Amino acid sequence: MPDPLSTTLGIWLGYATVQGYARESSAVSFEARVLREAINGVVGLAERSQSLFGAKADAISQLRAIANECAEVGWDGYEAYPLEWTSVRLAEEFIRAMPDDLPLPEFAPEPDGSVSLDWIQSRNRMFSLSVGITNRLAYAWLDGSDKGHGVARFDGERIPPRVIEGITGIMNHGTATVGAL
Amino acid sequence: MGLLPSGLSEVIVDDEDLARFLTSSSLFNTQMAKPAAFLPHPQDRETSIFRHGNNPLDGLREIGVKYVVGERKLHGAAIFKAQHVRAAQLDVVAEEPPPRHAAIKNWPLFENDAELQKAKRKEMAALICSKAELVLL
Repeated sequence: MPDPLSTTLGIWLGYATVQGYARESSAVSFEARVLREAINGVVGLAERSQSLFGAKADAISQLRAIANECAEVGWDGYEAYPLEWTSVRLAEEFIRAMPDDLPLPEFAPEPDGSVSLDWIQSRNRMFSLSVGITNRLAYAWLDGSDKGHGVARFDGERIPPRVIEGITGIMNHGTATVGAL
Repeated sequence: MGLLPSGLSEVIVDDEDLARFLTSSSLFNTQMAKPAAFLPHPQDRETSIFRHGNNPLDGLREIGVKYVVGERKLHGAAIFKAQHVRAAQLDVVAEEPPPRHAAIKNWPLFENDAELQKAKRKEMAALICSKAELVLL
């Protein structure tokens, strides 16, 4: 795992220097105070980035473990197709592209070789997204007695807004506003 | 109404228990089986299941070991009722051999849109999984 940015910053500037500025000090000059606040901000952001990157890296590791587990025909005992590496790579891109405030999904293999990304709040509230070998993502949701499904296009960089709204609606106990086709 | 070689009726009644065996730990979490566990095989468009509930547990385990898992690990089963399948606008029919085997059929087919077909199937699978009980074996 790469070093946290805060560590890198520490190496560039010297730990004693950074820590000295980052903690409360008795420095009285305006410049010293501004510099201390700026460094505090950078260190805080770096630590937050490291924390988020770590969570996404963990999720991607889980995804690859499932791909390895389901690499042969019949991994489910019912002649399922092996997970497609194209699907796994696309799912990884999806994870990397997720906004930091969106909860990470659980993963499940699907019998046609796709990867399911599931946000499960309870047995009656869930959002399930399928990543296959194309950039069109199939999704479905349950929200109490409401339900629906749809398809959204993923360009590899930006999560489709409808998908974000759907996940947020389910996971935040709000009203899901997922667009169906 | 005829009987099958297993001694079960040809007709699966609404309150009959059905089992989908789980051979991957990623097909369930601490609460429940996930929708992916119920999706059909892409070729025959059927979900293979067995007509058995969680009682007796040994009987359920025996079917899973004998007819499903092979050399893989049997983690558990999702137990649900035929009425839950039918409520999702799907059919469930007896399909022996092997004994007690059945299949969930009538998954939608959208020939011109594979992803939309998948989305609709996921919705139906989610409906079944919301009613299914997770049994660890």
